[in-house]
Amino acid sequence: MRDLGRMLVRVNWLGLATITLGFAFWEILLRAGFAQYQNLPAPSAIANGLVEITSSGQLLADTLHTLRAVLVGWAAALVLGVAIGLLLGASNTLRRYSLASIEILRPMPGIAFAPVALLLFGFSLQMELMVIILPALWPVLINTMGAVMGVHARLFEVGRTFRLSRGEILRKIMLPAALPGVLVGARLSMTLALVLAIVAEMVGNPAGLGDAVVREQQAMRPELVFAYVVVIGALGVILNAALTGAVAVLFPAASGRLREAG
Amino acid sequence: MDGEPKTRGVAGQLRSVLASLPPARGLLPLILLLLVWQLLQPGPSPYFPGPSQWWTATLTLFGREHLVAAFGATTWTFLKGLVLAIVAGTMLGVLVGVSDRAARALQPLLEFMRAIPPPVTVPVASLLIGYSESMKLTVVVLSALWPILLNATSAVRQIDPLLLDVARSFRLTAWQRMRRIILPAIVPSLLLGIRIAIPLAIVVTLLVEMLTSLPGIGALMIRSQRNFQSSEVYALLVLVGLFGFVVNDLFAVIEGVIMRRWPPRS
Amino acid sequence: MNAAGPGYPTGAAPDLVFSCRDVSVELPHQDGVRRILADISLELRRGEFLTVVGPSGTGKTTLLRVLGGLTASTRGAVYVNGRLIDGPPADVVIVFQDYSHALLQWRTVARNVAFGLEGKLPRNEIDDRVRDALRLVRLDGHDDDYPWQLSGGMQQRVQIARALALRPAVLLMDEPFAALDAMTKAQLQDELHRLRDATGSSFVFVTHDIEEAVYLGDRVAVITGAPGRIERSVAVDLPKPRDQVVTRQMPKFLELRYLLHQAIGQSEHA
Repeated sequence: MRDLGRMLVRVNWLGLATITLGFAFWEILLRAGFAQYQNLPAPSAIANGLVEITSSGQLLADTLHTLRAVLVGWAAALVLGVAIGLLLGASNTLRRYSLASIEILRPMPGIAFAPVALLLFGFSLQMELMVIILPALWPVLINTMGAVMGVHARLFEVGRTFRLSRGEILRKIMLPAALPGVLVGARLSMTLALVLAIVAEMVGNPAGLGDAVVREQQAMRPELVFAYVVVIGALGVILNAALTGAVAVLFPAASGRLREAG
Repeated sequence: MDGEPKTRGVAGQLRSVLASLPPARGLLPLILLLLVWQLLQPGPSPYFPGPSQWWTATLTLFGREHLVAAFGATTWTFLKGLVLAIVAGTMLGVLVGVSDRAARALQPLLEFMRAIPPPVTVPVASLLIGYSESMKLTVVVLSALWPILLNATSAVRQIDPLLLDVARSFRLTAWQRMRRIILPAIVPSLLLGIRIAIPLAIVVTLLVEMLTSLPGIGALMIRSQRNFQSSEVYALLVLVGLFGFVVNDLFAVIEGVIMRRWPPRS
Repeated sequence: MNAAGPGYPTGAAPDLVFSCRDVSVELPHQDGVRRILADISLELRRGEFLTVVGPSGTGKTTLLRVLGGLTASTRGAVYVNGRLIDGPPADVVIVFQDYSHALLQWRTVARNVAFGLEGKLPRNEIDDRVRDALRLVRLDGHDDDYPWQLSGGMQQRVQIARALALRPAVLLMDEPFAALDAMTKAQLQDELHRLRDATGSSFVFVTHDIEEAVYLGDRVAVITGAPGRIERSVAVDLPKPRDQVVTRQMPKFLELRYLLHQAIGQSEHA
C-alpha cells in the first residue's frame, strides 16, 4: 500500500493535468465551432480514427511493413558499422587512410539518397533499405571506433602482463571493454533507422507508416493523419524501450556500467 | 604564465579547425571509389553513371533548370528556419527551464513532441496550412526547434546554483540576470543543440521540397528522378552532400570562435 | 615453464629471483630520447620484500615495468630465475595503481581473479585457486559482485588476489595504495605482510611514501636523480610481525626514516 503511495507521488500530476486540460480545451473549441480549422481534428475524432485503422487491419499492415524495413536496415547497419568500426578503431593506419572519407560522407542527409534509390530499385523494400543503411551506419561506426580507441591502455598492459595471446586480448579485453560504446551507437542508429524508413516511405516506396501519413493527408482524412502520427511516436518509444530491455537482459554487466555512467 | 594559449581570433580559429581535420590521405578510399566507378561504367548507364557524367549533368542543370535559384531557395529556407528555431528554442527553453511549474506542466507535451520524427510533421503541416512557403518554413522551424529547446532547458537547470546566488547578492534584476548570467551560461549547450538541429533542418527542407515540389534542390531531385535522368540525380546528391559538409564545417568554425572564451572541454 | 606457478629448471632452485645488471632505460621524448634510468643493479632473493622509494619522476615505475617485462631496457640485462627476460616473464605479475582500469569491470570478482589462469589450468583447479586467493585477501563472499560495486580498497584487493592466484614468484606493485585513504592503506599494508608470509612470494613494492617503504620492506632501495640511480640500499632489521603503532614508534624505525629522507635529500638538517 505504501509502495502505491510512493508511486503515485512520483507521477507528474501537473503535467497530466495540463495535457488533459489541453485536450479538453481542444475538443471544446472544435465542437463549439469557435475554431474553424476544418483540417484540425478533435481528439475524439483522432481516437475514433485509431480504432478505425486498427480494426480494419490497415494499421497492422503498415506497422509491420515499416518495422520490417527498420529492423532489417538497422541490423545491416549494425553489422557493417561494428565491423568497420572495430577495424578502424584497432588500426591506426586504416584510420588515417579513411577518416577523411568518412567525414565527407557522413553529413550526407539520408533523404538525398531517396531519388537515387528510387531510380535503382523503384518501389520496393530495397529502396527503403538503401535510404536507411548508409546514414544509420555512421552512429554505429563512429561510436564503435571511439569505444575501441577509448579502451584504457592499462587494460592492454594487464593482458600483456598475464601473457595473453593477441587473439585473447582482442576477445577478452577489447571487445567487452568497447561494448558499452557499441550499444550507445546501436541505440542512436535505431532511432535514426525509424526516421529514415518513414522518410523513404513518404517520398518513395508507397507502403508502411510513412506512406500512410501522406496517403491519408492527400485523402483529406486529418483524423487518420494524426492517428498515424501518434502511432509513429509510440513506435519510436517502444522500439527504444525494447532495445534497452534487450540490452539489460543480454548484457547485464554492460547495462550496469551504462547505468552507473548515467 | 601558466594555462591555455590566449584566446584566438577568427583566423586562428580557422587555422585550428583546419589543423584538426583528419589527414588528407584519408580521402583515398573515396577517390578510389570514384575512379573505379568512372573506369567501370559501361557507357551511359541509366543506373550507375560515372562521375564524369555527373559533371556534365551539373552543367545541364545549371543552364536549364536554374540550379542556382533552386540551391538558393533551399539554402534560404534552411537558414531562415534555423535562425527562427534558434531564437524560439532559446526563448522557450529558457522559460521552461527557469520555471519549475512550466517544466512539469509541459513535460508530457515536450516528451511527446520529442518522440515524433520531424519528417512526420510535414504532412501534418500540409494539412493544416496547405502548400506554401510559410508551411515549408513552419516545418523546418518545428523540426529544428526541439533539440535547441531541450538543450536550453537542461542547460538552464544545470546552471550552478552558486551563480544564481551571485546574481541575488548583486541584486540583479530578472532581465540583467538573464542577460549576464543565464544566457551566457547556456551557450555551450545551445551550440550542441544547434549542431544536432542543423542536419534535421536540412533533411526537412529537402523533404518538403520533394513532397510538394516547392522550389528547391529537393524538387529538382524528384523531377530528375521522374524523368529518369540518373546523372542529374547523382549530381544533385553530390551537391547536397557538399552542402551538408560545408555547413557542418562552417558551423564548427563559428562554434570555435564563440567558444574560445570558455574553458576547453575535457 | 608454465604461467601457473614458479617452476624452475630441475635441480636448480636459485635463491635469486631477480637479478638486474647495469640496466639503463631510455624512452622517446619530445625531440630524441631521455634517459630515465641509469646503471641500475639490484637483486631480489626468494621471499624478500623489497621496497623502492624515491621522489616522483625518478623512474620507479619505469623500473617496475622493466622488471615486469612491459618496457625493454636499453642497456643491461634482467634475469628472472636465471633466465634473461624478453617480454613479461611467466612467474612475475604486476599490480597497478589504478585498480579501476586494471580490473575488467564487466567481469565478476571471481572471473577477474581467474583471468590469468584461463586456458592454462583445468576448470576445477582454477575454481580452487580463485577461492583460495579470495580467502587470502579476505574477500570471500564477493565472488559474484562486480568491481564497480566495490570500494577502492576492495578493488585493489581483487587485483592482488588476481595476481596471487597465479602463485607467482614475484609480485611487482606500483604504488598500489597511493589512491586509497589512510585507514584502508594501513589495513592493506598489514594484509600484504600476512600474504607474504602465507605465500612465500617475493615482492617489489614501489612507493613515494618513505614510512610505508620502511614499514613494509625487508630492504629499501632509494632511487633519486635524473636519470634515476639507486642512491642507497638499506636493510630494514625491524622485528616481525610489524605493528602499525608499535613498529612506527621504534627508534630504529625513526632512524631508518631519517636516513632515507637524507638519501632522498628531503631533510634540511644534514
